[in-house]
Amino acid sequence: MVKSIHIEKLNYVYQSGTPFSRRALTDVSLDIKTGSYTAIIGHTGSGKSTLLQHLNGLLKPTSGSLTVAGNHITSETKNKELNELRHHVGFVFQFPEAQLFEETVLKDIAFAPKNFGKSDEEAEQVAAKMATLVGLPDSVLDSSPFELSGGQMRRVAIAGVLAMEPQILVLDEPTAGLDPKGRLEMMEMFEQLHQEQHLTIILVTHQMNDVANYADHVVVMENGGLIANSTPERVFSDPDWLHKHHLGLPQTTAFAAKLAKQGVPFETLPLTEKQLAEKLAELMPQSGGELHG
Amino acid sequence: MVVPFVYAFNILNLYFFMFRIMVLLILKTKFERERTMDGIIDIKDLCFRYSQENEKLDLSHVDLHVNEGEWLAVIGHNGSGKSTLAKAIDGLIEPESGEIFVDGQKLTEESLWNIRKKIGMVFQNPDNQFVGADVEGDVAFGLENQGIEREEMHIRVKEALQVVNMQDFAKHEPVRLSGGQKQRVAIAGVLALRPKIVIFDESTSMLDPEGRMQIISLIKQMNREEGFTVISITHDIDEASLADRVVVVDDGKIMGDSLPEELFQKGNELIDLGLDVPYPQRLKFELNKRGIQTPSEYMDEGSMVNWLSRSILKN
Repeated sequence: MVKSIHIEKLNYVYQSGTPFSRRALTDVSLDIKTGSYTAIIGHTGSGKSTLLQHLNGLLKPTSGSLTVAGNHITSETKNKELNELRHHVGFVFQFPEAQLFEETVLKDIAFAPKNFGKSDEEAEQVAAKMATLVGLPDSVLDSSPFELSGGQMRRVAIAGVLAMEPQILVLDEPTAGLDPKGRLEMMEMFEQLHQEQHLTIILVTHQMNDVANYADHVVVMENGGLIANSTPERVFSDPDWLHKHHLGLPQTTAFAAKLAKQGVPFETLPLTEKQLAEKLAELMPQSGGELHG
Repeated sequence: MVVPFVYAFNILNLYFFMFRIMVLLILKTKFERERTMDGIIDIKDLCFRYSQENEKLDLSHVDLHVNEGEWLAVIGHNGSGKSTLAKAIDGLIEPESGEIFVDGQKLTEESLWNIRKKIGMVFQNPDNQFVGADVEGDVAFGLENQGIEREEMHIRVKEALQVVNMQDFAKHEPVRLSGGQKQRVAIAGVLALRPKIVIFDESTSMLDPEGRMQIISLIKQMNREEGFTVISITHDIDEASLADRVVVVDDGKIMGDSLPEELFQKGNELIDLGLDVPYPQRLKFELNKRGIQTPSEYMDEGSMVNWLSRSILKN
């Protein structure tokens, strides 16, 4: 598989060379494959955001290097050279709808491609396509983005990011503040982009259920370093380790751990309710009539 | 003889006295019961719209009664009108028609400031609520605004920080706190003002799981131990499950009023009401799809674990 992102011994120090210098990342090495879905978990202050900001050149390493979509970045890289990188990496920050500003939905989505040198017509064509992709109905394209519901405003903002046609989509808690239905729809939309558009997805989240349901890879950060870099199955197989690092379990895994305590045999703890139901169906007495009441 | 007569009189008098006390006691309990029936919040036929141009009402003929000391959860999907309802109770928006009574007092332009003293509000984003340079200063802000004496202020700030278990952070800067800690400070700021009612408007939705659980258990402590009336507007199933009663708001109307466990039986319908489906319900659904029958009554996590392990381990 092609490496989409290659990070080698990345160190970052805030306000380096001053009395206020603070080390935020220490020797981070990480590979992310093209087309993969990676979840980054860890507490506030663990270095997640600092790491993310390197991926589109908002920050440059103090030492070490990273290669993102073919662009090599070190402390020496000129700011001008980072432009190319920003074409390839789309960022959805928390509450992206706060960044909407245009008069109409279509214009707002078309802003980025126009800014990157596309003609008005081309940009609006791309914008219309992206609006469909994120599930916005055509009827809203000419209305003001501020008349839409919170969930729809967020879709507009995300369409704006997709309109740059990035290869890598970085999502920083993209469902914060949405209700459960909105959250599910949003996560399913990203899954579709991952499956159909083959976007490489990097998701920063506190929602362990989302990690279990969507990610194929998990990176756990603490104090500016990686403490795990593995699959969800491996990371969630050790509840004690997670507890020690103040991290939660997906609901299914937590539930299965309770069953295991009662003596129900599991070889590995399941991650999703479908997996758990499958396993329970094997273990349960199959004759439907046996159950009373 | 005089003496027996005096005895007789005294006994009669005593009976009469006791009878009077009994009548008073009965009247008193009856009166108290009526008082609590009044409720701390009473909303009668409340209508509101954000703009006169809107055809539809944003709150439509809302009737709601909240008992003193109760924990009421208000649920509904984004845009259902539940936050608008909270704003109306605090007098932040002006109703088109209808009445709101808080602690026996009708909400009017004149009573507004008095009523607001009785209601504390905690919002979604802890970062938007910080005004002080340090934790202590932030908690004191509301007290300063009310012109409370300095000495009294010190006592109240200390007390409030103790309730939320943040006394060790009194001198800390807000930027160094986690989301859950910031939200606890915001709650302390509200408590220092000694309200009777605390409204939590999606106060756990932006926190990480640890912070979320901290705030939920703090709400529980405030309601069960400190006696605050709590209204929590929420999408969080754990928060809603602890409430005494859950009210469903949809399209600006009150669509349901039930005990949490009654509501949770609705299964997938809950998604449309802005809540998650409780985990045991979801698992039941997956099991049923695989041909496994499950008990029809609502089961919480503990009873679901018990039922499953019994069914599996008996053979």
